[in-house]
Amino acid sequence: MTLVLPAPMARARRLRLGRLPVSLIAGGAILLVSLLLALFPGRIAPYDPLAFDYAALMKGPSWAHWFGSDNFGRDVLSRTIYAYRLDLEIAVFATITPFVAGSLIGALVGYAGGVVEAVFGRVVDAVITFPQLVLVVAIVAVLGPGLNNMFIAIGIVDWVYFARLVAAEVKVQKRLDYADAGRAMGYTPARIIFRHLLPNSITPAIVYWMTDMALAILLGSSLGYLGLGAQPPAAEWGVQIADGKNFMTTAWWMSVFPGIAIVVTGLAFSLVGDGLAELLRTRK
Amino acid sequence: MNAVADMTPAPALEVRGLTTVFESAAGPVKAVDDVGFDVLPGEVVGLVGESGSGKSVTLRSIMRLVHAPGKVSGSVRWQGRDLIGLSEADLREVRGGEIAMIFQEPMTALNPVLPVGLQIEENLATHLALGRRERAKRAEELLDMVGIPEARRRLHDYPHQFSGGMRQRVMIAIALASSPKLLLADEPTTALDVTIQDQILKLILRLRDELSMSVVLVTHDLGVVAATCDRMAVMYAGRIVETGRVADIFAEPHHPYTRGLLGSVPQAGTERSQLLSIEGTPPALSAIPPGCAFHPRCSFHVGRCLVDRPPLDGFAPGRSVACFEHRRVAAAGLAR
Amino acid sequence: MLSFIVRRLLQLIPTFAFILVVIFLLVRLLPGDPASAMLGDRAIDADVNRINHDLGLDQSWAAQFVAFVKAIATGNLGESIELRQPVLSLILQRLPVTLLLTAMAAIISLVLAVPLAFASAYNRDKPADNLIRGIFQFGLSVPVFYLGIVLLTFFGAKLGWFPVGGYGDTWPEHIYHLVLPALTLALTLAAILLRNLRAAIIGVVGAEYVDFARAKGLRPRLIMLRHVLRNALISTVTLFGLSIGTLLGGAVVTETVFAIPGAGRLMIDSIYGRDYPVVQGMTLALAVLVSLTFLVTDIVQAWLDPRVAR
Repeated sequence: MTLVLPAPMARARRLRLGRLPVSLIAGGAILLVSLLLALFPGRIAPYDPLAFDYAALMKGPSWAHWFGSDNFGRDVLSRTIYAYRLDLEIAVFATITPFVAGSLIGALVGYAGGVVEAVFGRVVDAVITFPQLVLVVAIVAVLGPGLNNMFIAIGIVDWVYFARLVAAEVKVQKRLDYADAGRAMGYTPARIIFRHLLPNSITPAIVYWMTDMALAILLGSSLGYLGLGAQPPAAEWGVQIADGKNFMTTAWWMSVFPGIAIVVTGLAFSLVGDGLAELLRTRK
Repeated sequence: MNAVADMTPAPALEVRGLTTVFESAAGPVKAVDDVGFDVLPGEVVGLVGESGSGKSVTLRSIMRLVHAPGKVSGSVRWQGRDLIGLSEADLREVRGGEIAMIFQEPMTALNPVLPVGLQIEENLATHLALGRRERAKRAEELLDMVGIPEARRRLHDYPHQFSGGMRQRVMIAIALASSPKLLLADEPTTALDVTIQDQILKLILRLRDELSMSVVLVTHDLGVVAATCDRMAVMYAGRIVETGRVADIFAEPHHPYTRGLLGSVPQAGTERSQLLSIEGTPPALSAIPPGCAFHPRCSFHVGRCLVDRPPLDGFAPGRSVACFEHRRVAAAGLAR
Repeated sequence: MLSFIVRRLLQLIPTFAFILVVIFLLVRLLPGDPASAMLGDRAIDADVNRINHDLGLDQSWAAQFVAFVKAIATGNLGESIELRQPVLSLILQRLPVTLLLTAMAAIISLVLAVPLAFASAYNRDKPADNLIRGIFQFGLSVPVFYLGIVLLTFFGAKLGWFPVGGYGDTWPEHIYHLVLPALTLALTLAAILLRNLRAAIIGVVGAEYVDFARAKGLRPRLIMLRHVLRNALISTVTLFGLSIGTLLGGAVVTETVFAIPGAGRLMIDSIYGRDYPVVQGMTLALAVLVSLTFLVTDIVQAWLDPRVAR
C-alpha cells in the first residue's frame, strides 16, 4: 500500500458515451437482453424447460445442450432462460408495491412531520430490528411457501426503506420556496404533496428501487433455494441451484449457470442504480 | 525575480521560483506561479490577496502540503536545506518541529474526536524526547501559555467544548508545541469576531517574541497586515505583484492592484473621500489573461500590458513591483 | 457517557414493545391461521380448534396480548410441536452456534474491509482501486447460498481443506467447521463496509485536520490510524450495526447450506415442520439480538465520536 494521500477533489474523469454514465449504459444493455429473454423465452430457449429427457441425464455442456442437462435430463440453458421470466417477475412484483406505497406514505409522513413523523420513526426502528430475511421467512411460515406469499412477505418489510427515503427528502423540499408559494396560492395539501413535493422527492427512492430489485432477486432466489419461494419444478435460479447442489462435483453446470445468471442480473441492476444516481447527481 | 533586496541579517526562509501546478482535465492550472520572497529571523511577513490569488496554496507549498494532483517545484531554502527536494522522512522533522502551520478554521483543523491534550502530545512525542509525564506537563504549560484558563482540566476536553477564540488558541498551542522557528499562519483570524481577532493577533506577536520565531501570515485583511506585519507581499492570480515594508507600501503603493486594495479600506486620519474599488473579478486560474494578469481590471494599462508580463523588479531599497507603469500608479496616490 | 448509556437503555423499552406487537400481529393479522398452516391438508376442525386453544387464539385480542406478554416475561416461549421441548431451551441451545458464526463473519469482514478500503482510497481511481471495487461489487451480487455452495465444493469437497458441513464437538473444531460458512457470510458484509469506508476515508483524508496532522510532522501510519481511520469508522460503525440483521438473515441460509445446527437451521426446519412456536420464538430472539447490537453500536459510536454522547 502506498501512502500517497488521495485527492479530496478528484478531477471529474467520467467516461461518457453521449451524455450517459457508462454504468447506466452497460447495466441497461444487460437488462434489455434480460427483458427479451423474460418476454420471449419460447422463441429463444431451445427446449421445453420442464421436459424430462431420460436419454440425456446430467450431460455436460455440448452442442445439443450448451449449458448441459440436469438430473431429469432437462436442458439447463432453457431452464435458465425461462427462469428470467420468474426472477424478473420477482424483482418487479416484490418491489413495485413497496415502492409505490412506501413513497406515498413517506410523502405524507414527511409533509405532516411532528407526531406522525415520531410514530413513523418508531415503526421504522421496530421493522429494521427484524432481520429482513428472518421476518420474511417467518411470514412465509404463517402464510405457507409460494411466490405470492413471498411477495406479501417482502412487501410488509420493504416499504419502510422507501418511506424513509422519501420522507427525508420531502422534509427538505417542503422548506423550499415553491412549497410556500403553493400554500400561498391556496392549493390543497394533497395537490402540494402529490403534484409538487413528491415528484421532486422521488429521485432517491427510484435509485434505491434499482438496488432493491437486485436485493429482491437475491432474496427471491434464496427463498427458492430454501424451498419457501418458487416451488419445483418451476424454472427459477434458486430452485435450479438447490436441484444442482448435490451434484456440484459431478455436474457443476446444473448450478453454475443459474448462479452466473443471478450475479449478472444483480450486477446489472446495481450498475443501473449507480448510473442513475450519477446521472441525477450531475444534473443537479 | 529576487523579491526582496538583501538586508543585513541572512534570511531564515528563502523562497525562489515556487510554482504549484494542478493537473486538471482541461490542462495544467498554475495556482502558484514563480513566487519568491524571504523571511528574516523574527520577522512577520504578510501574504495578501483575494481568495483564489494563490496565497494559501503558496503557504501549503512551502511545507509540501498540497493535495495529490498538485505538483510543487522551485526551491524553499530553510536552514541550509531545500524543502522541495527533501525526503519525506526529513521533511517530517521540519514539519511541526521547525516550521509549524495553523489554519483558518480551528473547528475543521482540529480532530473532532481526540482530546486536545492528545493532539498536543502527539506533536511533542514526534519531535521531542520527552517522557509521558513530561509531555503532559508541557501540554499543560502550552495551553497556559496561549491563555486558556484551567489548562490542566481542559487537556481532556474535545475541540467542540471550546469557544471559537479558545479553539484558535488551542490550535496555536498544538502547532507551537515543539517550539518551531517559523509559523505559517493561514488566515488565522478570519473566522473570528473582531475583538477576539485582535487578541489572537496579539498572542501570535507575543509568542513570536517569546519563541523568537518568524511568521508568515496569509490574510485578505489589510487591517491585520497593518497591525502585525513588518513586510508584506501582495499576490494576484498566483504571482507576487508587489513587496516591501508595510509602512512603505501603505504610504505609496506602486501596483494598481495594491492601490485598489488600499483604496477600498477607509483610512483613519484622512479626510472622508470616496473609496476606490477594483472593477471586475479576479480571473479563474485556468483562464489567466496574457500579458499582465491584472490588465483587464486596470485603469493604468497600456498596450504593452496586454502582451508582456511585467517582471517583479526592485525599484527602491527593499521595494519591488511587477508593473510597467508603477511610477504613474504611485504618482496617482490613493485619491480617486 | 454513562448518562448516554442509561438513556440509550431506556430507549430499548419502546423498541422491545414494538417487537412484541409486531410478532403478536404476525400471527393475527395475516390471512390464514397457524393451525391450518401447521396441519396443512391433514387439518380437521377438532385439531385446528385444539391448536388454536393451545396458542390462545380463541380468546379476545386484548386478553391474548396480555397472556402473550406475560408468558414471554416469564421466559415461557411455548413448546416446540415437533421436538417436544420448551422453545426457550431450544433457542439457548442453538443460538450460541449462530452467534459464533456471526461473530466470526463480522471479524473476517472487518479484517478484509478495513485494509482494502485504505488501499482503495489511497489509490483512488487507479487500477488497484478499480480491481478491489470490482471484486466487491461482484460480492454484492452473489447470493449467500450460492457462494456457500461454491466454497463448500471447492475448498471442502475438492481440496479437502475444510469440512463440508457440521459443527464438530470441541471449540477448535467448532471454529474450524465455521471457517467456510463465516467466509461465505463475510463477503457481502465486507463489500458493504468497503464501499462505505472507502468513501469515508476519501472524505476524511481531504479534511483539514489531516492536513494539520501532516503539518505537525506525524508519521503516516499514525495519521492513518489515529486521525483517518478513527474518523472514517464513525459512519461505518453505524452501518456495521445495521448490517448485523442482514448477517443474521444470511446466517439462516448459510447454516442450511453447511448443515450447521444453529438457530437459523432450527428456524428453517421449524418452517418445514410447521412448528409455529419455534418460528415465533426464534423471530423474537433474533429481533432482540439485533436491537441489542444496535445498542452496542451506538455505544461504540459514542466512544469513537465524543460529540454524540453529550
